[in-house]
Amino acid sequence: MKLSENWLRQWTNPDWNSNELAEAFSLAGLEVDSVEPVAGRFTDVVVGHVLSVEKHPDADKLNVTQVDVGASEPLQIVCGAKNVVVGMKACCAKVGAVLPGDFTIKKAKLRGVPSNGMLCSSKELGLPDDGVDGLLLLADDAPIGMDLRTYLDLNDHTIEVDLTPNRADCFSVLGLARDLHAISGAQFNIPFQEAAVITGNACSISVAVQDESACPTYLGCLVSDYNPNAKTPLWMQQRLQRSGVRPLSLIVDITNYVLLELGQPMHAFDADKLQGSVQVRYAKAGEILLTLDEKTVVLKADTLVIADDSGPIALAGVMGGLATAVSDSTRRVFFECAHFAPAAITGKARQYGLHTDSSMRFERGVDPLLPSRALNRALALLQEIAGGEVSQIVRCHSPESLPERSPLLLQRRSLLDKLGVRVADAQVEAIFTRLGFTWQATDEGWQMQPPSYRFDMQIEMDLVEEVGRIFGYNNLPEDPVMAPIALCELPESEQALMALKNALVQRGYNEVVTYSFVEEKKQQALVPDLPHVLLQNPISEEMKAMRTTLFPGLLNTIAYNQNRQQPRVRIFESGLVFYRNDQDPTGATQVPMIGGAIVGPVAASGWDEQSRQADFYDLKGDVETLLRMSHQLGKIRFTVCQHPALHPGQSAALIQNGKEVGLIGQLHPQLLKTYGVSGQIYLFQIRQDALMTMDIPSAQAISKYPEVQRDLAFVLDQAIPVQALLDAIAIPSPILRSVDIFDVYRGQGIAPDQKSVALTLKLQHQERTLEDAEVETLVEQILQAAKTAVNAVLR
Amino acid sequence: MQQELQTIIAEAKAAVQEVQDLAKLDELRVQFLGKKGSLTDMMKTLGKLSAEERPKAGQIINDAKELVQNLLNEKKRQLDEAKLAEKLAQESVDITLPGRGVDLGSLHPVTRTLNRIETLFSKAGFSVETGPEIEDNWHNFEALNIPETHPARAMHDTFYINQETVLRTHTSGVQIRTMENRQPPLRIIAPGRVYRCDSDQTHTPMFHQVEGLIVEKNASFAQLRSLLIQFLREFFEDTELQVRFRPSYFPFTEPSAEVDISTTLFGEGRWLEVLGCGMVHPQVLKNVGINPDEYTGLAFGLGVERLAMLRYNVKDLRQFFENDLRFLKQFN
Repeated sequence: MKLSENWLRQWTNPDWNSNELAEAFSLAGLEVDSVEPVAGRFTDVVVGHVLSVEKHPDADKLNVTQVDVGASEPLQIVCGAKNVVVGMKACCAKVGAVLPGDFTIKKAKLRGVPSNGMLCSSKELGLPDDGVDGLLLLADDAPIGMDLRTYLDLNDHTIEVDLTPNRADCFSVLGLARDLHAISGAQFNIPFQEAAVITGNACSISVAVQDESACPTYLGCLVSDYNPNAKTPLWMQQRLQRSGVRPLSLIVDITNYVLLELGQPMHAFDADKLQGSVQVRYAKAGEILLTLDEKTVVLKADTLVIADDSGPIALAGVMGGLATAVSDSTRRVFFECAHFAPAAITGKARQYGLHTDSSMRFERGVDPLLPSRALNRALALLQEIAGGEVSQIVRCHSPESLPERSPLLLQRRSLLDKLGVRVADAQVEAIFTRLGFTWQATDEGWQMQPPSYRFDMQIEMDLVEEVGRIFGYNNLPEDPVMAPIALCELPESEQALMALKNALVQRGYNEVVTYSFVEEKKQQALVPDLPHVLLQNPISEEMKAMRTTLFPGLLNTIAYNQNRQQPRVRIFESGLVFYRNDQDPTGATQVPMIGGAIVGPVAASGWDEQSRQADFYDLKGDVETLLRMSHQLGKIRFTVCQHPALHPGQSAALIQNGKEVGLIGQLHPQLLKTYGVSGQIYLFQIRQDALMTMDIPSAQAISKYPEVQRDLAFVLDQAIPVQALLDAIAIPSPILRSVDIFDVYRGQGIAPDQKSVALTLKLQHQERTLEDAEVETLVEQILQAAKTAVNAVLR
Repeated sequence: MQQELQTIIAEAKAAVQEVQDLAKLDELRVQFLGKKGSLTDMMKTLGKLSAEERPKAGQIINDAKELVQNLLNEKKRQLDEAKLAEKLAQESVDITLPGRGVDLGSLHPVTRTLNRIETLFSKAGFSVETGPEIEDNWHNFEALNIPETHPARAMHDTFYINQETVLRTHTSGVQIRTMENRQPPLRIIAPGRVYRCDSDQTHTPMFHQVEGLIVEKNASFAQLRSLLIQFLREFFEDTELQVRFRPSYFPFTEPSAEVDISTTLFGEGRWLEVLGCGMVHPQVLKNVGINPDEYTGLAFGLGVERLAMLRYNVKDLRQFFENDLRFLKQFN
């Protein structure tokens, strides 16, 4: 909410400058976003009366004027503005005046004609754009010679307060002044007389309310015979402008003024356009209303409207209709001033796309006691400015439907326990008195009656907060949290994600964080079959689908960096992927993953080696490090697989207990273009849960007996994976300690469709020296197994 | 004979002097001391001498042999030394060239910041909890006292999946999940990704929060304030860091506050908001079956990127998600 500082100070005027005032508001929970002066800095500008305008003898575009500024002699001023005319009132900067930008007005000669001052435009004075090309026009009754800052009340600021949803009571000058009174202790006064206006005849328009719980109060009043040519006074225009409201016409300005001043939304109908009586009722589904801002709204049956005999004429509490709007030709006005229940208004503005100052206030709650006060204020303003006959007020009022503010108990103990500070009784009482509460002391504390406008006072803690807020959060003592000491769990078999991340960092990987939503089409190119989740309201098409794999984010990151001369990329990411699952309460299975990608030279700087491009085994080695760290090497197996995202000859599924827990492979070359990437890109991802359980070491005795080593070179079919050979010869034997591959060879001496795989077996007995015979027996078994399982023969 | 020996010795001296490699030196050894060597030959002539002359002559020859042997040994030593010196010289490396090995990667600055936050709180006995990012309305809104019609709901810029589920707009849902599943007393933090449908220079549609929750029998707002001031001063390692609490509003806490910090680094009088906090609203405790008359909850939510930007001098929020290697590598 925006408002004029001077306006506020008419109600409550603490001894603080503008910045101190703003800070005090912020520290009391009414956050001030900005404090802006309403005009630039300038001095010695006065109201001038243009007495004569003559063409400059030597310049077509200049005029020579005589301007009365209340001094004994008029000033001769050369002026270039097009709109300068005899008789106008204009802003005149005198010699010695300083204008915004530290621009000093001096005696000058323009093309030979002396000029003793300057007539100013709004821009030259740092005032808001008035839309006029030329001089700022002042009213004809502006007092000649008066200082402009005084005349236009320019020593003022626009304060913008960002109100939290609970403080609907502060949506007005009255509300902010009330809270300022509570914060500062400065006196609160109402700067106008609240005498009831004199009313005449009964109102000729009758009003009926269908649902009193939705509209507990509806006041109407007819005003006729006012001066239809009366203009909105300057002071009111200024206050509206400084509150961000554009002055329109007297009647509308008055309703807006009362809205800003007291917080009560009102509406003015052109009484001559109303047909029959006014009803507050729910719309019939399909009824149509053309609103003030010329939108056609098709109404739903749950929408509260104001209607006359012809149909809906306003969306209750939101916006009026165009057909009955006041205009220049309006001569009789029907004012509406009602209280609508928040429940009847909430959501309607959003539903119809019509957010207004009125709907915002009604949704959050307006003081139910305001309507008659506000209507009276509006009528008084109108009468003061334009006269007129005011009818009696027609009133539909159902006090039992008004929201009730129940009294709340505030215990002295709660203040100490919850705030953590002892506040003196007298201070508590003073705070609540200033906040407009009434109270009665009880043994434990106070029985508090919140004022009608404090919708947010629901429970005792709300009262505790009020004390804290006014007492000042920053005045609370520093008091450490007290809790019994308890040691934390330290499960040793639980792998820490951070340990895995650090291992990758040590292997040269940079961690990335990419958005969890990706482009659906590009993701589909990688994983066409995974059921995924879409956002209803994505930022863009590129961020519409929740990721089912980490690959899109990794590939996009590679593209981004390759486009910036970074040929070598090693990256990883951890985070959730989302598989659509209608059985899950959230509609998705959400799985933590860790994944990575490499492309480009394997070494960062290879000054002595041939620069080699990273390949499958580089990435596999890194993945194996992760498996090894979690004691899963061997438990998670690499299995040949076909995956749409991956090169058919360079891809593997990671299988743990028969379940796929990850993928590794080269990006399918056909997908390079889809992602705008180049080179041979290797990718992996693994479910984090597959890596989270470690073994706790249990030390085995070291054998004291010699180890026997046997090297065996097998020849087998090229297409058979080495793992199959290893599996075949993994004979359970107490003496077979390890099998290591030391060579894989294809070429001369080996048939073209075959390969040689050389293995080192290490054999050792725990309790004695091995005998030749048992070694030979085992080797024989191994040879036999290799032959049987994969048709491998000794080379 | 004496004459002859002198000649041989002179010959040997000259030859040894000349020789430049071990093979040649060995040839000389054979030439002088081998089975058919000149000095060995001299030995053979001893037989022709009388018994009286023999020992003396033998002595002379042996002396000559020893002298030659010493010459050869000394030369061998010299040649060995020279050879080693040459080998070492050949093996010398330019120790200024960089060493081999993988270059170091880097943790993302958000992770680095999260680590710092998690470490500070876990040392004080907080456990780290996580929760789903696609969240149901109950955990993201309703249990947190934000019913469908609440104005705060509209302020959340929520990404919707459907009527019932959303991308979580805050990590506060983890509060609810933890309290639903565990009995107080509780001390947890919940770091993670959160989502708001907002994207411009100072907003990214995804960012990170750390939620904190304490549920104890005796916990006060003053304690929460004290904890958070301490946290901020430790996080920034600045005991002079100015911290101020501003009353604010969150439907799930009462009282609520936003917390601003200020240091000379930001310029005079500038306050930057870094977190929101409050005492868990009694209704929220009731929603998860905790008796608000018995227990009090303290909760806070930190904006991780904001803290990371301040700590690591990052000027543009969007850099966190562009993943430019030239940016990331600065955090190794």
